[in-house]
Amino acid sequence: MSAPSGQDRRGEAVRSGPGRVLVAVYGIFALAATSRAAVQIATRFAEAPLAYVLSAFAGVVYIVLTVALARGARRVAVAACLVELAGVLVVGTLSLADPAAFPQATVWSGYGSGYLFVPLALPVIGLLWLLRGVRRS
Amino acid sequence: MNGAYSGWLIGAALLLALVGVVTAVRDRPMGPVLLAGLGLLELAVLAQAGFALAGLGHVAEKATFIGYLAGTVVIPPAAIWWGRAERTRWGSGVIAVAAFTVAVMTGRLLQLWNAGA
Repeated sequence: MSAPSGQDRRGEAVRSGPGRVLVAVYGIFALAATSRAAVQIATRFAEAPLAYVLSAFAGVVYIVLTVALARGARRVAVAACLVELAGVLVVGTLSLADPAAFPQATVWSGYGSGYLFVPLALPVIGLLWLLRGVRRS
Repeated sequence: MNGAYSGWLIGAALLLALVGVVTAVRDRPMGPVLLAGLGLLELAVLAQAGFALAGLGHVAEKATFIGYLAGTVVIPPAAIWWGRAERTRWGSGVIAVAAFTVAVMTGRLLQLWNAGA
């Protein structure tokens, strides 16, 4: 790792420009997923505990990503993007293979089909953005 | 909540999102048109929130409904703040995302409202 000034410059490269749009989109998803999960867990947890816990987990991942991108913490952001990608692929596949386990939709059900597939596209775009910056610096 | 009013609001928010995309593609920061559009959008969602809260008894999923209402009211001012902070095409991109989100959230509000009927 290089001097603090270099660290700052790379952080700036992550959060400025297109990074702003990513932060905004992740912020919205963080808000949407966590508040949805909070309502579901508070009011009807017994209906679909697995789906609601996964919703909450997705919300936490989105919060971590929003903060990491906004602060320019590239490594945390890359790790969270990978977790997010794995999550959407695993949950998407499970929700199609075993719909009984997911009677209520989560953000990641059907690869995010309830959210215009944005949850599937976001980690890919996020990784492209983060890794492009690495190559440049 | 009034279906026709919210329908117009969704159309207006989508139009504003389109203007934001066009502005970003033309490589311009937020200008007076986007600023005024966001201001009008905020007034429109505040009016909608007023109608919706007045008829809250009608809705089954109150917590979710209020969450979406709060989202629509908070997003346009946040987009204005962001558009002023990032004076590049990406500020306009954030505004496009924000306007689109308001349209989607208003759509979800209508669904929740109609489900309660």
